Amino acid sequence: MTADRKLEWDWYSGTVPENVVLDDTAYCETAFSFHFYRSRLPGGVEYGRGASTYLGTMFDVGPRGRVILGECALIHGARIICDAEILIGDYALISWNVVLMDTYRVPLDAPERRRELERIPAREPRLACADVPAKPVRIGRNVWIGFDACVLPGVTIGEGSVVGAKSVVRESVPPFTIVAGNPARVIRPLNAEERSRHA
Amino acid sequence: MKAKHETITALAPGRWTHGAPPANVRLGNDTVITGDLAFKRFHSREPDALVIGAQCTMDGVHFDLGEKGRMTIGDFCYFTNAVLLCELEVRIGNYVVIGWNTTVADTDFHPLAPAERVADALACSPLGGGRPRPAIPKLPVLIEDDVWIGPNATVLKGVRIGGGAWIEAGSLVTRDVPPRARVLGNPAQIIGTMP
Repeated sequence: MTADRKLEWDWYSGTVPENVVLDDTAYCETAFSFHFYRSRLPGGVEYGRGASTYLGTMFDVGPRGRVILGECALIHGARIICDAEILIGDYALISWNVVLMDTYRVPLDAPERRRELERIPAREPRLACADVPAKPVRIGRNVWIGFDACVLPGVTIGEGSVVGAKSVVRESVPPFTIVAGNPARVIRPLNAEERSRHA
Repeated sequence: MKAKHETITALAPGRWTHGAPPANVRLGNDTVITGDLAFKRFHSREPDALVIGAQCTMDGVHFDLGEKGRMTIGDFCYFTNAVLLCELEVRIGNYVVIGWNTTVADTDFHPLAPAERVADALACSPLGGGRPRPAIPKLPVLIEDDVWIGPNATVLKGVRIGGGAWIEAGSLVTRDVPPRARVLGNPAQIIGTMP
């Protein structure tokens, strides 16, 4: 990254926001990932050592949102919708078109939602950003999430677990468990042999 | 009741950020469509093929209308990167939210019977020589006022989603959804009722 926070290899003309922590060991393929980023917190996104994000990853992070990527976490094109906190553990692998969301961004109550939708056209950029309760999402160490999966607000995925492609996870997942389906269900716990190879 | 936008004056005309939309598209005041792919697959020849109300935000939405497709969208709708596939009719009400990477389709695009699919593949191929395609199931989609549809969801042909329903992220909606129902899953099942 250059002094003006431009990524030398980037096709996109934008820069990495000031409050994003990204050192030389980590990799961000494109600053376009921050197109919807508007966190005002110090370390609104923090890349751990060796963490990487690739094309298609979008940090749709609100003013008080914070996303932490663990060591060597690999995000290959996820939509991260965050108004509170999304923690992604060390060595987590997250595939393309995955949605991680800690907020619905609009009120669940229809009349209140109408009022929010009436305010959007006056904003620049035009985004929903109602002050609705957000519930942090935690993706544990060494978790693997398959493509097109969705993780809903408030969900914790335990260490070493696997989420199958296209799953929708609305309940927390214990450690060392395979879940899949929409809604996601436990397929089986990882067995002792599989767990023994866990670093 | 008078539509809300009729009482609002002095708003800029609706626009597409990448130029003039096709002539048979009508946009209400202060409606903004962004994204260079918005009309890449817009082929409708119907008059007023796409009518969008006032003060809508259509961010990166694909309006993929076939030759006879007709689509209406109400006021104050907010769609993010939705793919709207319409060969017949899609009607969407007011205050509807559609999340990122969600698809709505009013057709199966191809017939179910294998022999008819062979005929369809041939008709669609460079060897088709203009021969007609077989009949393909199409049924209108109706999404009523105040519906919220999350990211990565899919809404298939013939579905009516009742007012105020909440379609969770990643849901695949194959059947009608009652008003104010909260649904999730593949296929989408009712998991609760909205306040």
